[in-house]
This record gives sequence, C-alpha cells and structure tokens, in this order.
Amino acid sequence: MSAGSIPSGNQIKDPGYPTSSENYLTNSKGALSWLLTLDHKRIGVMYLIGVMTAFFGAGLLALLIRLHLFRPEGAVFSGPEANNWYNQVFTLHGAIMVFLFIIPSIPAALGNFLVPVMLGAKDVAFPRLNLSSFYLWVAGALFFIAALLASRLDTGWTFYTPYSTTTDTSVILATSGAFILGFSSIFTGLNFIVTINTMRPPGMTWFRMPLFLWATYATSIIQVLATPVLGITLLLLIAEKVMHIGIFDPEFNGDPVTFQHFFWFYSHPAVYIMILPAFGVISDLISVHSHKRIFGYRFIAYSSIAIALLGFLVWGHHMFTSGMGPLTTIIFSALTFTVSVPSAIKVFNWLATMYKGSISLTTPMCFAISFIFLFTIGGLTGLHLGTLATDMHLHDTYFVVAHFHYVMVGGTLVAFLGALFHWWPKMFGKMYNETGGRISALVIFLGFNLTFLPQFVLGSRGMPRRYATYDPEFQTLHQVSTYGTLLLGVGLLISLVVLLRSLYKGERAPANPWGGATLEWQCTSPPPFYNFDRPPLVGDPYDFSDIFWDSENERYVTIEPDRKIAPVEQPEPVHAEGNH
Amino acid sequence: MFANLTSSMFVLGDYTSSDYAWFPENASTFATDNDWLFAVISIVCVLFFVPIAGALFYFAYKYQKPKGTPAESNTAHNTPLELAWSIGPSFFLVGMFIFGAKAYLDHRTVPDGANDIGLQAFSWGWTFNYGGGMYNPELHILLDEPTKLSMRSTDVIHSVFVPAFRAKKDVVPGRYNYMWFKPTVASEKVSDEVLQQAIDATEAAGGSWDFDRWQFTQDGYRFFDLFCTEYCGKNHSNMQTVVVVHETLEDLNAWIDQYSKRDPKMDPAKYGQTLYENRGCKGCHSLDGSKVVGPSFNQSYGNQRPFADGSGLVADENYLRESILYPKAKIVAGYKPVMPSYKGQLSDDDVYSLVEFLKTVSMYNKDAADENSAGVDPEDQGDEEEKAEAPAE
Repeated sequence: MSAGSIPSGNQIKDPGYPTSSENYLTNSKGALSWLLTLDHKRIGVMYLIGVMTAFFGAGLLALLIRLHLFRPEGAVFSGPEANNWYNQVFTLHGAIMVFLFIIPSIPAALGNFLVPVMLGAKDVAFPRLNLSSFYLWVAGALFFIAALLASRLDTGWTFYTPYSTTTDTSVILATSGAFILGFSSIFTGLNFIVTINTMRPPGMTWFRMPLFLWATYATSIIQVLATPVLGITLLLLIAEKVMHIGIFDPEFNGDPVTFQHFFWFYSHPAVYIMILPAFGVISDLISVHSHKRIFGYRFIAYSSIAIALLGFLVWGHHMFTSGMGPLTTIIFSALTFTVSVPSAIKVFNWLATMYKGSISLTTPMCFAISFIFLFTIGGLTGLHLGTLATDMHLHDTYFVVAHFHYVMVGGTLVAFLGALFHWWPKMFGKMYNETGGRISALVIFLGFNLTFLPQFVLGSRGMPRRYATYDPEFQTLHQVSTYGTLLLGVGLLISLVVLLRSLYKGERAPANPWGGATLEWQCTSPPPFYNFDRPPLVGDPYDFSDIFWDSENERYVTIEPDRKIAPVEQPEPVHAEGNH
Repeated sequence: MFANLTSSMFVLGDYTSSDYAWFPENASTFATDNDWLFAVISIVCVLFFVPIAGALFYFAYKYQKPKGTPAESNTAHNTPLELAWSIGPSFFLVGMFIFGAKAYLDHRTVPDGANDIGLQAFSWGWTFNYGGGMYNPELHILLDEPTKLSMRSTDVIHSVFVPAFRAKKDVVPGRYNYMWFKPTVASEKVSDEVLQQAIDATEAAGGSWDFDRWQFTQDGYRFFDLFCTEYCGKNHSNMQTVVVVHETLEDLNAWIDQYSKRDPKMDPAKYGQTLYENRGCKGCHSLDGSKVVGPSFNQSYGNQRPFADGSGLVADENYLRESILYPKAKIVAGYKPVMPSYKGQLSDDDVYSLVEFLKTVSMYNKDAADENSAGVDPEDQGDEEEKAEAPAE
C-alpha cells in the first residue's frame, strides 16, 4: 500500500464544501447580522479581530519601549517629561497585553469558535451571555482607551498601592476597565464550564474529549474562581482612592502588602489562564501534525487540572522580598516548586508523541516546536526564581522580565499563532501560503530569542526592571535586545501578511487539511452556521488509523467500511396537502 | 537555535571585554552562596534542556514523513516511563528548594552586634541615618562587618537592591523592614590627582557629580551600585545611590565627621546647596521653575504663595522653616500633601543653611521683600527656632 492510497472496500466520508447560504460567514449579511449575532463562531471571529487589534497596539508600545532603551539616557522620549512618557508606555503595554490580549486570546477568541464545534454541538450553552461577554470586553477596552486619553496611567499593570492611590493619573478609569474585563472573563468561563459539562455528545466521555477542551475546562475553573477576587481588589482600590477606607494605604492605617496579596491571588492564577489554553493547543497540534496518538493522554489531562488547582497556592512567590514572615516565604517557595512538575510532564509527553510519528513540518507544527523550545526555557528559568536565595538577587530585575516573556510570548503568543494557523482554514475556508507561514515562524523564533536571551544576562548582572534610563555598562545587551525586537516585529508582520493574503488569494480549504481526528474536522470549512445537521459520531479524538491522505484532492479524508444502508428502498415521500 | 547561538556570542564577546559575565562583582558573603546556587540550578537546567531541545529537533528531522504515511508507532502510554519522568525531576526540585531556603534563612537572620544604620526611602532618593545627627544619601559601611539596615519609606514602596551584594529588600511604608549584609571587598580610593581632575571638570561644567562618568564618589572612593527595584513613579530609574566599603573604622569615622555638620568657615548658602542635592529636596523641587512634585524653589522666598485652603502669604524665613519641618501645615494650591517631615533630621544649622540657599535661588523683588521682613526682629526669629527645636529621632 503506497502512501496516500485509500484501501479498497472502504468509502470516503467527507462533508465537501458549504454553500454560501450554509457558510456561517455568508449566511446572513449586514453589520447588524454580525453585531447582534448569537453564533459562537461569529462571536469568536469578532473576538479575534478585537484581540489582534489590542495586540497590534500593545506591540507598537513594546517597540517604543525597546527603541527608547537603545541608549542609556533614553533614545525616544526626551525633555523633562521623558520618564513619565516611558512609564506610561510600559504601563499600557503591560495592561493591554495582559487584560485585552493574552487572557482573552486563546480562551475567548479561539475557544468560542472551537469549543462547540469540538463537542459536535450547535452553540455554547448560553449564546446571549456569550455575546454579552464580548461587549463587556469592548466596554473594558474603551475604558482603557479613555484612561490612555484622559490623564496618563503610570502605575504599572499591577496597580501597586500606595503609588496607585496617591498618583493623580487615571487609575480609576483603568481599574474600572479591568473590573469590567473581569466580568467578561467570568462569563466566558462560566459558559464553557456549562457547555462542556452538559453538551458533550453521546459517546464523548471525559476521557474522550480533545485535550484542548480539558485545557479550556481547567482555564474556565480558574476564571470563575479567581477573577472575582480581582474584581473585589480593584473595587477596594477605588474605594481606598476615593474614600480612604484605610485598607491598602498606610496613610490611613492600611497595609500596602495586603494589596499585593489580593492582587496576586488573582494574577498568579491568571498566569495559568494565559498558559493552560496554550498547553491544550500544543497537545492537539503536536498530535495532529505528527499523525500519531497523543502520548500519556490522562497524564496531560490531569496535569491541566493539577496546574489549575496548584496555581491558586503559589501567589506569594511574587512577594518574596516584600517582608513576609520567613515561614510563609518558605512555604510559598515549596509550593512553587510543586507546580513545575505538571508542566514538565507535558513537555515530556509532547516529545514522546513526536517520537516515531509521521511528522509534517507545516506552519502550525513549526510554531508548536518553537513553543516547546521557548516554553522549556521559560519554565526552567522559573527554578532560579522559585529558589529563595537566588530570587533575592533576581527579583524585579530583567531576569524576571525575560522569564515571563518566555512563558507569555514564547509560550502563549506562539501557541496562539500556531493555533491560528492550524484552525485558520477551518475558520475562513482558505489555505495560506505554507512557505510564507514557515518563514514567519522561523523569523519570530529567531527574533524572540534575540530579544529576550540577553535580558536574562541583564537581570543577573543587576539591571532593575521598569527603568527609563540605565547605567552605561548595560548598553550592549540592551541594544542586542532592541535589534531582536525589530526582527520579531518583522516576523509578526510576515504572519499577518500571509494570513490576510490567504483571504483574497488562498485556495479553498478542504474539510480536513491536516488530518485531524477531532470533530471540528468533520464539518465543512468553514462550518455551516448550524455546525452539524445531526450530532456526529464520536470516536477517539487521537485515533488516526482511519484518516488517509487523498493526494488527488490535497486533503485528508476519513474512511469507513462499505456498508449497505438498510432498508435499501426509500419510502415514497409524502407531501402534506397544499404544501408546495 | 541560531538565535541562541548569536546572542550567546554577543554575551561571550561582552565577557571577554568586561570584568564580569553573568554577575556583577562578588562583594559580600551572600554573593558566594548565591552564585554557587545559581550555577548549580543553571547546570541542572542545561542537563534537562539540552536533551529536550536535542530530541525536539532530532525527532522533527528524523520522523518527518510525506503526507499520508502512518506513524511508526501509536503507543498511547507507558506508565513506568511516565512515572519516572514525573517523579525523577522532583529530587532536583527538592534539592533546590532546601538549599535555597537554607541560604535564605541565613541571609535573613541578622547576626547579633551588626552595625545598625537607619534608611529612609522617599521618591526619589535615600537618606541613611548614621546616628548622632549624621544623615547622608550615600551608604558607607565597614569591611567584613555585618551591617543592618532598618528601613522605612515615607511615601510609596521602594526596594533596596545592591547587585554586588546579591541582596534585596522592599521598603514598605507603614512598617519597618530589615536587611543586612557583610561586605567582603573594600572600595578602592583613586589617586588625589584623578579626584582633583574630576572635581575641577565637574565645577567647570557647573553640573552635579556624575557617578556614571567618573565611577568614583566625590571623595574618590570606588563604589557599588544601589538601585531602587520597586517601581515608584516618574524618576524611579534615577533613584540610585552608591555603597562605599571602608577598610578601617578610622577611615569610616573620618568620612562621617566630614559630612556630619557644616564647617563653620563654609558659606551657609553653599552648604544649603549640598543639603539640597543630598537630602532629597532635588527630587521634587526644581530650581528652574519647572513643576516636578512640589513647587519650584525659584519662586519660594519673597513670593506670594497661594494655599489650597484659599489663604496665602508671602514666603518668608519662618514659612520656609515650617514647610521643611511641618510640610503638611500649609499646602500650596495645585500640589499634593506628600512631602515627608524633616523634623529631627535636619539640625537647626541645616535648616538655616537651606533657607539661606533658597534666598539665593529664589527670584523675587528684593527691595519689596526687604521692606516686608524689615519688621522682623532677629531676636524673634531666635524664639521661633527654639520652639521648633525638634527632638532627635
């Protein structure tokens, strides 16, 4: 049997292509059909446009930061307000990236599109709630823009007290924005928990779910449990600022470290809101593009839940130098180490999945390989920070900056891009240029490392973070980092061009361009507005034995044995009287 | 992988041209513990990372197949293997945790008999209290002697970081935080000629001392950097000072004596300028009229001051004195009551010197101001000073 041939005695099961009245993108027209849609796929696409816009804006701010740091005294902003400008730019870069991009990127944009389709369902459990989540996101984004325009926010994205309660910049506007975004996140999480619990099709047990759904489920649990704490914290911060209730500000007998506890009790689990969906994406990408069953399914699934739960217990490691008691500090250090184990398990499982697979180096696979490389660096450098003695030196230096960018950008952003390239044909029904996609993955990988590897050294040499100007001995490494940023920016632009070009010039995508076995590949590309006309047959999501490459039509197809449909004779159609 | 290579080459290039690569100079007892632990963790990381990255790229190359080729194996799991790689790394983690926590406890427990120096952090500067009324923005300590810092902040959170000592601690308003270290390397002193050249150059340029340019202090000592590492607003990145390690107690005491009070022969206004630069005035009050955090000093003495409560007065010596010692008594309209009190931290002579300095920089109608203060009896002023005499802290 040569590669690509269909064994005889079997028939092909392929949904073909949607008609334009079925295609969810074209089945209804006009702006309102989008703005008021309850279709999870359209909401997902609107989220996608929203988060990409936020990413573009915050990315430009990142570029400004790096260009400014090209020279010790600052290369971009000058004059007496130079430091203020720099502080506002890094504050907005962090706040927009965290609240408007990374947190909603995979769960809200891709999750909305994929969760119901992967479940073979027609929509999420609460479609109206889903639309309201999106508009809450928009409202939160408007608050951030207002904060930007009104009076310039300069507290850092962490809003640490008492600086945030004494500065006269627009802290209240920005925290209100974050508060509203929190509700958007809670609603999305709630929706997915209910959807996954109640709408799995017959036959899809918990352990026959795609790992993306496990990751989404774990993420949703954190969103629902942790985000309310952020809401409370931000309300208390506003109350402290306006009414001086005396909880965070020492001027009124408050304790600023209390704010840090509150804030990180949300914001550390939020780190896992950011990275867990990426784990889910990579599990699926590695398995599909290696055309091999995922290795250690249960360990991966359980480790997602373990990370979600352990992630709630380690917030104190952001405060090792703040003057907590020694016992508290040591307990937080120990707990921090436990959370590294489930992440390591996943990396080993992905490698074992690639072993003896049949790997296609497609664009999504290139991003997935890049993810494993970068995330491993990000994870391992966490050990230096979890170890108490070395953290005393590295805390709040560029080492930390490099560490979390390896996790958030090298991890989440790269996984997001991989996912985007992987599901793009499904979402928009178009194939992109593979060569262009692979080049962008390579350039992003090189640019990213060039940007952030030098920052580890900057940090261990003692360069503090959030500095608008710096001592001349750090200049060389800062300049290398800035060159890396430019390269990274070029890589991201190539990605954007490749994807946008596909919308106009791309070939029509088959239902299953990669050979995936999960349910979303069993409907057309793009899916019809109703996803499936009847609940699809649920198989093993990682069993690739009945998927074959159809080289004639450049697509993967699922085969099933020839079988007779009984009864052979169809009954005469009966028309109701007067029905034409 | 190539990016890894190129940037590591930059790092290597830097290594050969610089005194240090991964860390600044090892100058305290903590540094030895820290660097050793950092190296061990890094080696463990490399031991894990190299096989992982190697396998990643090797598998991607080796098992790349044409489309449609089925995978060679479809093994779903291997429990012993999975348990091995779940439990195996834990031993390394336990080791890191134990060594890290042990060193942390050692570094945290202040030894008995450590020299206690007070530290007050404010936006954006530091004041070290050496006792006996000696306050200075530079930290001067003794070689091989443990030094304890008792730290407080009078506004927002700051953080003390001395990279050469591998020591860091936040300074949190509303509580005292403590840290200590034992320096093991003394600061060298540059030759008198070099120092004199630098002093002459600085005076010729008319600016303040440029530590980055000279790499030694105004007294000719080489120094270690001390950074603020908790973001604290506009000039966070300028909130730096120097640590000088003296070899002998005599040397340290000589330095302290030199700075503890004004030389009677020195012009008070000139000494006031030193205080302005050293004691944190400069961070918030400009001399050129620009608004920073507080009002500029070029409109202080002799100018009409409008207050937030609607009242106002012409700034005279007593008003300036009150503003230094009780800054929240009268708030100039358009500013926030954020200035910490200097009561007990400035001697009477210090306040006098500062007021004299302010008179030289303030732009005002001198004739009118002289008339205004003509009625003030020098005796009266003396009474006021006695009243305001503050107990030392």
